[in-house]
Amino acid sequence: MNRRRVAAVFVRIVAQFRRDPRTLALLFAAPIAIIALLGWVLSSSGTTTAHVAIVNASGNPAGDAIDLKLTAALQSQPRVEIAGDVHNAATARQMLIDKQLDLVVTVPADFTVQNRKIELTTLGLNPAGEAGVIPAIQQALMGAVAQQAGAGLPTIERSTVYGSPNATQLDTLAPVVVGFFVYFFVFILTGVSFLRERMGGTLERLMATPVSRAEIVLGYSLGFGFFATLQIALVLAFVIGRFDIPSLGPVPTFAIGLGVTTVGSPLIAYLLVLVLGIGAVSLGIFISTFARSEFQILQFIPIVIVPQGLLGGFFWPIDQLPSLLQPVARILPVTYAIDGLRQVMIAGADLTSSAVLLDLGVLAAIAAVFVVLAAATIRREVA
Amino acid sequence: MAVAATPTSAPAVEAVALRKSFGPIHAVDGIDLALPPGRIYGLLGPNGSGKTTLIRLFTGLASATSGTVRVLGVAMPSRSNLARVGYMTQADGIYPELSVWENLRFFAALYGQTDRAAMIKSLELVDLAGRLGTPAQDLSGGMRRRLSMACALVHNPAVIFLDEPTVGVDPALRVQFWEHFHRLAAAGATLLVSSHVMDEADRCDELLFIRDGRVLAQGTTAELRERAATDNLETAFLKFAGDSAPGRPGDATVASAASAKETLR
Repeated sequence: MNRRRVAAVFVRIVAQFRRDPRTLALLFAAPIAIIALLGWVLSSSGTTTAHVAIVNASGNPAGDAIDLKLTAALQSQPRVEIAGDVHNAATARQMLIDKQLDLVVTVPADFTVQNRKIELTTLGLNPAGEAGVIPAIQQALMGAVAQQAGAGLPTIERSTVYGSPNATQLDTLAPVVVGFFVYFFVFILTGVSFLRERMGGTLERLMATPVSRAEIVLGYSLGFGFFATLQIALVLAFVIGRFDIPSLGPVPTFAIGLGVTTVGSPLIAYLLVLVLGIGAVSLGIFISTFARSEFQILQFIPIVIVPQGLLGGFFWPIDQLPSLLQPVARILPVTYAIDGLRQVMIAGADLTSSAVLLDLGVLAAIAAVFVVLAAATIRREVA
Repeated sequence: MAVAATPTSAPAVEAVALRKSFGPIHAVDGIDLALPPGRIYGLLGPNGSGKTTLIRLFTGLASATSGTVRVLGVAMPSRSNLARVGYMTQADGIYPELSVWENLRFFAALYGQTDRAAMIKSLELVDLAGRLGTPAQDLSGGMRRRLSMACALVHNPAVIFLDEPTVGVDPALRVQFWEHFHRLAAAGATLLVSSHVMDEADRCDELLFIRDGRVLAQGTTAELRERAATDNLETAFLKFAGDSAPGRPGDATVASAASAKETLR
């Protein structure tokens, strides 16, 4: 291992990037733009007004009383509008279908003080969207029912071990988005860079110099690690930081940065993403063996990147995946990066946490496997 | 590994019973060579005759199926020995985004050349010293070829392999290239230049006619002309090709000689 040769490869990669402003823009502007979009979408979901009707089918005093309580409880809720003139279930049902109502609360005919059951009905076309409306209303209704029943029901208060019960989807998604972006960009850029090296005849020339395969892989890792570091720093700053811009003339106030609450050390988060990125460098070199053009590198996105996005715990916890897919998820590097990032940024774990150490260890092991594979394929192509 | 003879007589490039097969195809089919240093050797043959494979075996980029290769007395492949070897590939093999200087500096660092004056000199020799900051992609084709050559020679190698260095190079520049090659040889370097253009053959000190992975004939241009009883090297090549052909059953001599002539043009 010769330090000067490794440095030469590193310097060359940095110089190549510097002369390619569009790729630099992709590296830095694209993740910011996408995370900003994600933040925007997630933060505005649930701000629409829910149209709710209360249908009282009981006709007994207990039912009438709960009807009043429910109405009062719902009126106190923000973003809830009560349609007052709906009196039978069939009308309410039709109004749900016509999208005049989002939710119907029914006090059934058999409602008594002993049988305190009320029904919630939604349309069911877009479960995810409807789910956004329900929890707040449900909580209000529970409160109302409990109040009506006197001491019969305990009040319910939500709390969480980590973060806060009011944590938005954004707060839990943002940390993992950081890792995923780095993985994606580093993979694509190394894959294409190394493909050019193979196709442009420069790899042939490199192999005719005293440089070793290990020095090439290390130089590449340093070069891409350098840009990954800048990218991680910028993206983390954008996700964690928040800088409010006061309104100016016709421009309303707005904020730069998402201001996601995080408790852990950004340095450990960075370490996790960096180890993930080094694996991605070698994966890109390895994959470039199987491609004959840049277009064929892109064909590996649905094979290599998308499954990691679906299975890596990004959207669904690993335990909730079908049992056949769980072992698959457990060999994907993104799985460990996402778990580690959540441990650090949401639970505030540090390097004394065995979970974080395990994630780091597995990521390092996966990276090592791909470094060996990458070095092996450099030889295969040339010899 | 040590060469017993005196340095002047020790071959710079040596091959013994060298074979390289790709499945049923023998790209190099039993070649024995011993090339003394300080001369320019022309490797002539039609496309697909095994020239590039032979050079890749010499530079250690390919490993021999059987037989041995020695460069400057060291068995190839040897990574450290490559610091004394220059290799100019058929493709330019330079980075288009990088400037002339960045390309040169990169290859210099890989070869362990740290002498800045020597780096500048190798660019002066190819008339590119005035374009240090120009990105390679903005250079003309001939300039890229020259940069590629500077990158191959930046470390003053003792043995230089040039794979069709003059393809796509205009006649004036071609003359410059050959003058440069002769200067290097006069300074003691050994050059092996492959070509499929016969009119370059006269510029070499010695020629190797190669076809179907075998050396048909070896000698100075004068010797080869005399042996073939012709002034025309192309005719000489075809004569050697025809003479060697009967030894290989199933080879249609006339057709393959004609196709050789075709690719030589």
